[in-house]
Amino acid sequence: MYEFRLYLYISGETTNSAAGAWSVKSLLNEAFRGRYSLEVINVLDHPQRAENDNILATPTLIKAAPPPERRVVGDLSDKEKVAAALGLTTDKEKQETPRHPESSQ
Amino acid sequence: MSERILVIDDEKAARMSFILALKDTGFEVDTAESGEKGLQMKNDAEYDLIFLDLKMPGMNGIETLRQIRKTDKKVPIYIFTAFHKEFLDELKIAQKEMLSFEVLKKPIGADLIVTLTKLILGQPEEAEEASYV
Repeated sequence: MYEFRLYLYISGETTNSAAGAWSVKSLLNEAFRGRYSLEVINVLDHPQRAENDNILATPTLIKAAPPPERRVVGDLSDKEKVAAALGLTTDKEKQETPRHPESSQ
Repeated sequence: MSERILVIDDEKAARMSFILALKDTGFEVDTAESGEKGLQMKNDAEYDLIFLDLKMPGMNGIETLRQIRKTDKKVPIYIFTAFHKEFLDELKIAQKEMLSFEVLKKPIGADLIVTLTKLILGQPEEAEEASYV
């Protein structure tokens, strides 16, 4: 079971949304070291699935797990913005977060 | 300079929905009632985003897309259509021709027109929500 489960809806392999898919994959590979699953779905091939997931535009990136569900639409090229919009804390950010000092008596 | 948006749709109600939705956003919105008119306007001016209806008499959405891409391969073009298999199958023609486009589901409300337009143009801080559920 992957820690992060994501779906990316695109409108084809040669579109900007496909380029966004590469950017997203790069972000996930850098930040989550294989702890994720990313399914890329072409809306043209799976219209009913897009309807079921309430997709309104491409590209749409959905973080389905862990909750809460978050969605990002449009420009996926800025990795930091995508990560922030999805509420993802990368491994690097976890390492850089200072720990609370132990209370002394 | 504010971003310029072109809406190409033979239905007046659809064109007006974009105009009304985006009227207070600061974007410049132009409309065209046909693919031919839209192509002419595109050739006469630079646009940052184009919304293009799929089903139009005369020069339909696919042909309009094809003609625009001959001279501009970068401008984002969002084809709005119902997400029905019969319509999306038409877009596979464009896909096979390696024409770049995105899709926008029809119908769509004013609030989402604004949110999606801002997100598409890379303005998530100004969108009501950076991401939507």
